[in-house]
Amino acid sequence: MNSDLRSELHKKAEQAWPDLELLIGWQAGYDDLHTTPVFIRDSAEISKLIWNPWCTQNLAVYVAKHFAASSGKDDKKIGVCVKGCDSRSLIALLQENLVARERFYIIGMPCKGIVDLRKLHALSGAARILSVQVNAEQVALKSAAGVLHFPLDEVLMRKCRRCRYPNPLIHDVLVGDPLTPRTDAHEAYNDVAAIERLSLQERLAFWQGELDRCLRCYACRNACPLCVCQDRCIAETRDPKWLTQYMHLPEKFMFHFIHALHLAGRCTECGECERVCPMEIPVALIKEALNKITLELLDFEAGLDPQRVPPLLTFDAGETGI
Amino acid sequence: MTQSHDNPAHKQALTIVGFLCNWCSYGGADTAGVCRFKQPTDLRIIRVPCTGRMDPLFIARSLILGADGVLVSGCHPKDCHYAVGNLYARRRLEVLKRMLPFMGIDGDRFRYTWVSASEGQRWQQVVTEFSEQIRSLGPNPGVTGKSAAAATA
Amino acid sequence: MDTAIKFIAFDQLNSALDRISEQLDVWVPVASKDQKRVIQFAPYRPGMTLVLDHQTTLGPKQVVLPQVEALFRFDYRKSADEPSRQKVQLEDPHPPAPTLIFGARPCDVKGFLVLDQVFSAGPFVDGIYAARREQTLFATMVCGQQDSACFCSSVGSGPTDRTGSDLWITPIAAGYVVEALSDRAHPVMAWLQEAATELHVAAAGKVQEEAARQQVGNLAVDQCQQHFLQRFADTNYWQEVAGQCLSCGICTFVCPTCYCFSITDEMKDKHGERIRSWDSCMFFTYTLEASGHNPRPSRLERYRNRVGHKFSYFPEKYQGLIACCGCGRCIRNCPVSIDIRKAVQNLQGQNHACS
Ligand code: SF4
Ligand code: SF4
Ligand code: SF4
Ligand code: SF4
Repeated sequence: MNSDLRSELHKKAEQAWPDLELLIGWQAGYDDLHTTPVFIRDSAEISKLIWNPWCTQNLAVYVAKHFAASSGKDDKKIGVCVKGCDSRSLIALLQENLVARERFYIIGMPCKGIVDLRKLHALSGAARILSVQVNAEQVALKSAAGVLHFPLDEVLMRKCRRCRYPNPLIHDVLVGDPLTPRTDAHEAYNDVAAIERLSLQERLAFWQGELDRCLRCYACRNACPLCVCQDRCIAETRDPKWLTQYMHLPEKFMFHFIHALHLAGRCTECGECERVCPMEIPVALIKEALNKITLELLDFEAGLDPQRVPPLLTFDAGETGI
Repeated sequence: MTQSHDNPAHKQALTIVGFLCNWCSYGGADTAGVCRFKQPTDLRIIRVPCTGRMDPLFIARSLILGADGVLVSGCHPKDCHYAVGNLYARRRLEVLKRMLPFMGIDGDRFRYTWVSASEGQRWQQVVTEFSEQIRSLGPNPGVTGKSAAAATA
Repeated sequence: MDTAIKFIAFDQLNSALDRISEQLDVWVPVASKDQKRVIQFAPYRPGMTLVLDHQTTLGPKQVVLPQVEALFRFDYRKSADEPSRQKVQLEDPHPPAPTLIFGARPCDVKGFLVLDQVFSAGPFVDGIYAARREQTLFATMVCGQQDSACFCSSVGSGPTDRTGSDLWITPIAAGYVVEALSDRAHPVMAWLQEAATELHVAAAGKVQEEAARQQVGNLAVDQCQQHFLQRFADTNYWQEVAGQCLSCGICTFVCPTCYCFSITDEMKDKHGERIRSWDSCMFFTYTLEASGHNPRPSRLERYRNRVGHKFSYFPEKYQGLIACCGCGRCIRNCPVSIDIRKAVQNLQGQNHACS
């Protein structure tokens, strides 16, 4: 299935190339299970582009952080490949005027889901996965212990299993046909609801247990397409001094409050913060909880309508109940 | 900031942080004082220019470090000295209030409200109620202590 | 002196560690999530389930070079004879206790051989590191679980590299065969009760042979020092290998040989500590100067520094020793799959084709 889409992607990239100065996509990584972003500046390299269930990175992360300020030569644009979830990040950046729509040529990739490598490792139990075959419904995983089969659904990323927007919400061209969403808004917050069912003490214990592992490497922040302060993050400034260098739990909680609250009403649920965490802390859940709140309270979901202003960046004099 | 509360039955002092806006609630608290309305003494007031200045992280940090309660009070909506500061604030504060329990921190330890400079009586009532509420919740354990060394099996 | 080879049956592992941990602090690899995920070294407690068949997410670096440690404590006190003056009182941190790292891998130990050059080999000795290092023993296990990111053989180590270890563990079908490699190991050997049989030793020999046959990684590092310097100013090259870097710092946090640290005073009221904490050259603030100038303003210079430090500056300074143990952790954990092998492999060669 993928080779067809891959050649379609190549064809559409070729067609768009005359208007582009740069194209951001995915290429093969150091083994079959890893992809790495590629910045194409020469049309001869379009053939490097790939599209498959391993294309995990949200390329919107580069858009505001690396290229927002650059202005194109001869009105040339920056091409960027986005999955459904990634497209929401782009829209959120547009909502905040952090990037200009005209600067980008958006190649939309309707997405059936991305494989979660950690789930594969957990399921295989082996230190080394030798190969993986993915088809429409099944994954065949080969390790020294033999070949194991799993339903594809079981090994998808958490964000994919709750995906409501598999089709890019903004694009100049689509690669492949639009797909049917997996869940609706009602089911999307099941993981949050599961935590909400715990008692207050259990919730505190849960987060203490998870956040205890945090290294404060800040990768979750750097991988976030909407954490745009980057080098000026208050988690690292000494004046004002929000955090010490200690590795005590209160510091770790505080860092995650900083990240999450700065994403309230802005997080597009791309799941990158959670994916990149080397300590496998489910940090995206915190932002999902905030999204559930902003949805219920302020009827807003980030990254859907480029015209809408994120609710915490504005106010409504007439609203009641708060 | 954390205190040891060995005997919860004992009526020891609570640590309640109050963030009051300069133009209304700080004045309201002053009015209550001038009128000699009796008030609990657990509140430690921090004056802010406007509730619009309230970074929800001020509140999160207080509660994480073990403050027993946090009270934010400003001008009534539509009466903000800066016109709209409290209209921004109420959204942020409500979002925080709903988020705290998700992380295991009791949302009842945080309250935001509006008290004008002339409402000495209302101020007395707000402080008394909130202090009672915090007293009934007991001391805040905060997010405890140093991180346990690495992993558990 | 007990020089016999010992044996620990699988079901005796915990009781053996129980005995050892009565005498020493023991650190073991354990999973902090279900299903053998996120494996870290942690202080041994009776009943713990060890994970010995996977590489750990974080190596044991923190045992000797903790992520945060106090260099000293201080206290401002009013001086009695001159009340307007304040005296600073200093207090040293506690001395380290004898420690055994059980179940490390050759790459983990190799990491310490790199750190030693900086902290304890002289001429400038870091007292705190050196004291802890001195007290630390390694019980290392032959490695049979290389994956596609490992390349230890390429950097002068390998799955059976015993350099730096005190005890050597070989897993066989029934349990673990343990040999002493250094004199320091003898007390630990004495606490192990069961002697290995000839059959055990023969089985261990087979495992060793098999592991020794593995050539892990095919990176060529000869002359990488010079090649790096030639590549230094080739921006296109660094764009090609690290253009996608997020500056997230994971690579340095998980790396057994990264040792850069920051020093800060953390104070509350009149008391405080001067602490040393891990820093990362991948961070913007790492080289940020007080003037606001930053000599490494972008991720490209920062990633270049990471490669240069490990494969050029360090070997230049320390007799050709490469500051990388080939553990592959940076490759495995990089969110955008940047591969340091590729960055080093391609240093050689002319005129880089830009992409
Ligand atoms: S990526 Fe993980 S370990 Fe790093 S700061 Fe974020 S939560 Fe902590
Ligand atoms: S907070 Fe996490 S899930 Fe939300 S936009 Fe950022 S990286 Fe994506
Ligand atoms: S882990 Fe990867 S993305 Fe993060 S700083 Fe290192 S090389 Fe860059
Ligand atoms: S640079 Fe990478 S492979 Fe080398 S020691 Fe560090 S983490 Fe391991």
